[in-house]
Amino acid sequence: MLHYDFMQRAFFAGGLIAVIASCLGVYLMLRRQALMADMLSHVSLAGVAAGALLGFNPTLAGFLTAVLGAMAVEFVRRSYRAYSEVSIAIIMIGGLSLAVVLMSLNQHLTRSFSSYLFGTVVAVNKTELLLLAFVTFTGCLFFFLFRRPLYLLTFDEETARTQRVPVTRLNFAFSVLTGMVVAAAMPIVGVLLVSSLIVLPAALANRLSPSFAWAIGLAIAFGITGVFAGLTASYHFSTPPGGTIALILLLIWLLGTTLHRGWKKLGSLRAKRNPVSLNA
Amino acid sequence: MEIVTMKEVSFGYGDAPSLVNLNLAIQQGEFVALTGPNGASKSTTLKLMLGLLKPWSGSVALADKLPDGKRLEVGYVPQQAAAFNSGFPSTVEEFVLSGRNSRGGWLKRRRPEDFALVEEALNRVSMWEYRRQRIGELSGGQKQRVCIARTLVQEPDWFVLDEPVTGMDRESRLHFYELLEEQVRIHNRTVLMVTHNLEEVSEKLDRGIELTRTEDGGWKCCTTTLCKGHFSQGD
Repeated sequence: MLHYDFMQRAFFAGGLIAVIASCLGVYLMLRRQALMADMLSHVSLAGVAAGALLGFNPTLAGFLTAVLGAMAVEFVRRSYRAYSEVSIAIIMIGGLSLAVVLMSLNQHLTRSFSSYLFGTVVAVNKTELLLLAFVTFTGCLFFFLFRRPLYLLTFDEETARTQRVPVTRLNFAFSVLTGMVVAAAMPIVGVLLVSSLIVLPAALANRLSPSFAWAIGLAIAFGITGVFAGLTASYHFSTPPGGTIALILLLIWLLGTTLHRGWKKLGSLRAKRNPVSLNA
Repeated sequence: MEIVTMKEVSFGYGDAPSLVNLNLAIQQGEFVALTGPNGASKSTTLKLMLGLLKPWSGSVALADKLPDGKRLEVGYVPQQAAAFNSGFPSTVEEFVLSGRNSRGGWLKRRRPEDFALVEEALNRVSMWEYRRQRIGELSGGQKQRVCIARTLVQEPDWFVLDEPVTGMDRESRLHFYELLEEQVRIHNRTVLMVTHNLEEVSEKLDRGIELTRTEDGGWKCCTTTLCKGHFSQGD
């Protein structure tokens, strides 16, 4: 399988995006913005449509629109502090409605749009690969350099502010990075499933991890496993790669959650049977 | 030296004012309690002092530096800090260590002293044995103690504590007041604490500030009670 150039590129691209999307997902989930990825992918679609209509590179247009959408969501979030999901819904409506209208203006885009909707990881081109590498490098650097203020910020914004964390600027940078990751992930799993790469590994890792550092590490491990297993399954069974990756990530989440629940139940049963040994 | 000064501060949520013409100053090295009935804007007053809220009118001056030239370090424990995200994947030790994040830059390597401070703080709040546990698995009172330990590790010049003893039993509360008194009297730090248990802690306080309603329409002003032991009535 790996002697094909396109499969090498697919594994390379998939690995890169699994690392950065899983890491980002941990923060997004804890900030209660898990749906932000979904929203930005829809906004990005409007950029793709606008780019195609106006003769720009659709990938770059989608990328820029996702970044702009992320900035807009941060702006609206400040007006709805207690209901951050409202800001996501508002921007998603704007992005999706714009995409639908722009698509209707250009009737020749149907085929191209299906590749954005469902992903074409095995047909990743050089521009997309370079964009992915740049986003992954920038994202990893961001999460490494700002890991301590981000931890404080994710836990509680007000306390972080009193500890002189530049909350507004950091939130802004975080939103921009989210837009970049979503736009770069679109060619892999497509608009409809991009949030699976961001949410599912993080959801399982947050549940299983004893510490924050472990949550990041485990999320990346689950993300890479899901993407590589999905690509392999897709190659052997001739299934769409985006959907296969998302399904495998869902299976990993289901298996991990079930095992975790079983393990916890077993622990509480043991504790009920032998309470003395626990107190010792 | 004044840590914070509020002059003629007014503030409200929506159209309704909740604080009107509030004048208040906290001196360095004071142990002050802020009291008042529910809804008296005690938490709002703290947030205005810390710059987390902007007043409608008036001024809030928070000291940037101490007389020795060091940057003022604020240790804030918000109200119901124990109600934090229970799914947050962090151990007690990791969480308390994050109190050192603002000390010495974001990228500075952790030193053995940082870990020693964490151990000491967790022992002070009797939570050392829980250091490997996830914070979300703790009870309300334990979470509150862990939040206090994080603030202790920060070694702040000014403790701003919004109902920090919520969920604690009486013995833990008394132990905690002693700990705060030690911070003020021995380390010359400043403590401002919102509390409903004024009588429990009044022996140790320098001042008690009470937010009360004004006669004309439910706005609040503040009255200061001097507490015995540390101030003469003429101060």
